[in-house]
Amino acid sequence: MNVDFTNEELAFREEVREFFKHKFPAAVKDKQEKGIYLTKNDHIVWQKALYDQGWAGINWPVEHGGTGWSATQKYIFATEAAEAKSPRIIPFGLAMVAPVIYTYGSEEQKARFLPDILATNVWWCQGYSEPNAGSDLASVKTKAVRDGDSYIVSGTKTWTTLGQHADWIFCLVRTDDSGRKQQGISFLLIDMKTPGVSVTPIITIDGTHEVNEVHFDDVRVPANNLIGEEGKGWTYAKVLLTHERTGIARVAESKARLNSIKKMIDEAAARGEDLNSNAVFMARLLEIEVELKALEYTELRVLSSVSTGKAPGPESSILKIKGSEMIQMLDELVLEIAGIYALPFVPEQYTEGFDGESIGPLFAAKAAPTYYNDRKVSIYGGTNEIQKNIIAKQVLGL
Amino acid sequence: MKVLVAVKRVIDYNIKVRVKSDQSGVDLTNVKMAMNPFCEIAVEEAVRLKEKGVADEVIVVSIGPKVAQEQIRTAMALGADRGILVETDEPLESLAIAKLLAKVVEVEQPDLVILGKQSIDADNNQTGQMLGTLAGMSQGTFASEINVGENCVEVTREIDGGLQTLSLNLPAIITTDLRLNEPRYASLPNIMKAKRKPLDVKTPADFGVNVISGLKTLLVESPQERSAGVLVGSVGELVEKLKNEAKVI
Amino acid sequence: MDFSLNDIQQMMQDSAAKFIQNDYDFETRRGLSNSPAGYSEDNWKLFAELGWLALPIKEPYGGLDGDLVDTMVLQQEFGKGLLVEPYYATVLLGANLIQKQANDAQKLELLEQVVAGELKLALAHSEAQAAFDVSQTKTRAEKQGDQYVLNGHKAVVLGAESADYLLVPARTSGAVGDAEGITLFLIDPKSAGVQLRGYATNDGLRAADVGLTEVTVPASSILGQADSAAPAIELVLNEAIVALGAEAVGIMEKLLAATSEYIKTRQQFDQPISRFQVLQHRLADMFMETEQAKSMVYFAAMEVAKGGPEASRVASMLKVKIGSAGRLVGQQAVQLHGGMGITDELDVGHFFKRLTCINNQLGSRDYHLQSLINKAAAG
Repeated sequence: MNVDFTNEELAFREEVREFFKHKFPAAVKDKQEKGIYLTKNDHIVWQKALYDQGWAGINWPVEHGGTGWSATQKYIFATEAAEAKSPRIIPFGLAMVAPVIYTYGSEEQKARFLPDILATNVWWCQGYSEPNAGSDLASVKTKAVRDGDSYIVSGTKTWTTLGQHADWIFCLVRTDDSGRKQQGISFLLIDMKTPGVSVTPIITIDGTHEVNEVHFDDVRVPANNLIGEEGKGWTYAKVLLTHERTGIARVAESKARLNSIKKMIDEAAARGEDLNSNAVFMARLLEIEVELKALEYTELRVLSSVSTGKAPGPESSILKIKGSEMIQMLDELVLEIAGIYALPFVPEQYTEGFDGESIGPLFAAKAAPTYYNDRKVSIYGGTNEIQKNIIAKQVLGL
Repeated sequence: MKVLVAVKRVIDYNIKVRVKSDQSGVDLTNVKMAMNPFCEIAVEEAVRLKEKGVADEVIVVSIGPKVAQEQIRTAMALGADRGILVETDEPLESLAIAKLLAKVVEVEQPDLVILGKQSIDADNNQTGQMLGTLAGMSQGTFASEINVGENCVEVTREIDGGLQTLSLNLPAIITTDLRLNEPRYASLPNIMKAKRKPLDVKTPADFGVNVISGLKTLLVESPQERSAGVLVGSVGELVEKLKNEAKVI
Repeated sequence: MDFSLNDIQQMMQDSAAKFIQNDYDFETRRGLSNSPAGYSEDNWKLFAELGWLALPIKEPYGGLDGDLVDTMVLQQEFGKGLLVEPYYATVLLGANLIQKQANDAQKLELLEQVVAGELKLALAHSEAQAAFDVSQTKTRAEKQGDQYVLNGHKAVVLGAESADYLLVPARTSGAVGDAEGITLFLIDPKSAGVQLRGYATNDGLRAADVGLTEVTVPASSILGQADSAAPAIELVLNEAIVALGAEAVGIMEKLLAATSEYIKTRQQFDQPISRFQVLQHRLADMFMETEQAKSMVYFAAMEVAKGGPEASRVASMLKVKIGSAGRLVGQQAVQLHGGMGITDELDVGHFFKRLTCINNQLGSRDYHLQSLINKAAAG
């Protein structure tokens, strides 16, 4: 058992640090430091910087332009990226649809879609959940009916994150409703510009527009946009879900966040708000620190088993549950530090162009909205209740 | 002019009614009770008549258990001047109530009696009409507008497909419909004043009325459970569902 | 022993509940919250007519002499409607403090106007380092002849924009942390040197940061005696915790009902999700926390009214319970509603937001737990 980095890995870490020092787009970095919401273009600029470095396809196979990094390298990259406050890589193209395409797609589809995904030339979004298919994802009702060389798609997808920016959407659609509901689901790629596709925003309680409903009103989709075989979509989506657990705990991000929380406490002390002398708060902070260390090592164990060639098992559900709880506990700490200044709701303070004096300390402006928004992390991607079912059934055999 | 208003204590209209496990009736244990909404409209109308200077006194009467005093106090907090409770723990049918009210009318000699058109617990819609007969007074039921004139009252009634306006000679009986008025909220000073207003307690025996019922409730059943609804995300989706799933449009 | 409401309280509860039900549905409230004033003047007039503005005020000043239990009853109903009118700011903080601190002439002049709905107030007590403990006030007032000159910054003053007067505690003697030396000033927000920076709060109310730069006021604007305001402020804030607690309980009851209704209708895996035991237990937890919180509010409503050193300990106990119960009930209501719970469209998220803000007002759960530790250590 050994978790020390080798000399090669240390050299790699230097390389990553150099990248963030010199090639992390300055405008994006500045916004990240001030907590200002990023625009679509900011995300593209940042992801293209990664692409130019050859680092966009973190998990991709080398043959399709991936990094071919080891588990340790991915861990190092994630840690450095979080410390540098880089934006999250928007997962829908690079981390979600691409693996399905390069694993199950035809050669034609690989050539057609992968290069633009890698270069972030095309913005993807996810069409899984429906108003009545949330935790019970297999009951998707969006219909795709074969008509010559096309499918006619009708139905509604919901909670589509950043769908307002998207050029393409990958969907689970029902092509057959005769058998078990897990059968008859297909994986279909749809151009958002096709007639009959419309997007309506859903505003969340933090006042932002992040998620959407996507409606399909008799949308004609070329049949060659179907990935793999008709009726196998559920299998593809599930394989993807168990394979894409790395990073789901967002440990690196939480570690960086904890460090910045400690800075907030020091700054608060300088203003005369002495949280260090609040034993209740400090006990909570330190307990969270312990929990985060445990979570980090759980993630490392999963990573290490992946690097030795084993697929991560259902125990990776631990990462989703504990990782989301960690994010939410850290939000609560920030809310606590913000104190009375958690109350003002002044979104201008974290919107592009704000150069006034903040009301209270700047970090406090986003404390409550972030706490509100992050209630989603124990809901999306399979609620934590569903994750516990998976642990009970698949890990513990109950 | 003297106005008599009858009010009934019923389950609060916001409470989801639960049937007792033996199906003998509705479970009233720890359930919030309130004034029947139509009676509230009747009280409001009487109080407005008083505020307009048309009525000099508003008397509120209720028939039921001791706790029905709460509803009388509420009516007095809304502006009624005094109260009468005819106290009985017997379950009463409409005719017994009408007989008791007729006795109260005999004693009080009001010019106008206002009642709710029906109570939301039993939905009988009978008491006002029966009282009209027993007291020998003309009646205007389902009133949506009332105008009191010299020795008469004009009542606009809501009837199927339209409105009908009647003129009744006083004394008269009016039963209220939903659109007659919007009852006020009881103000705190009036709530406190209501405590000091007189409330007479009588019994059916005082009026020589036998309230023993010839009716027996055999079975009370809940309405069939509504199957689970779904939340639709948008108008578009609703239209889609109405078209394709419910097939109603 | 009797926990039932008397018939006056019962009737007051009924009319408040009816008002919320008939005239204050969630969309109405949203409209009011988004309006420029952030609340309805018509509602304010109605509150005056209904006597709600007079509730905690003593009879000689036109009030109804209500106690904390009465306030609790009203606040619990207000919680169910997420009331945006500045009742808390004007009546429960402002008027209540005038009543406890001002001299008789001042009380007569100001309180009758409050009761009539003609005067609104805001208590500018909080500063970044002093959300609750007024002895930590850094704002200073220097005596110059017959006048006082105030300098300082007040944080997140609820209802400041709609207030005709601000009640401003400032230090006139002693050092930060001293119990003595706090003086309460009545200040017209339009006075020179008073700068209001107004904003909406996360829970849909209005507040402002108040800058005080060389604000010069006559000595007559002192409410009551100089240097002596801290005990009255402390008492008012303890009572305000009871009011917030009652509001929080109203919110929790509402969330419990909404969530229990939702899981009975939401179908997943071909059945209502209420059939899953883990969700039943979650609802049971929410129910127990709500009831425990309610018990604490009852306890505190009776005990805080007695005043004395025990009152602040009780208020702290209540704030701890409200903080933890509110967090559990709010978070789980959202969680069980799934994605719908975090949409702006549904009321559930807004109740959750208000519960969150209640914890950050007047000292959080952590703050009050620490203050209980300190008191226990001091014996």
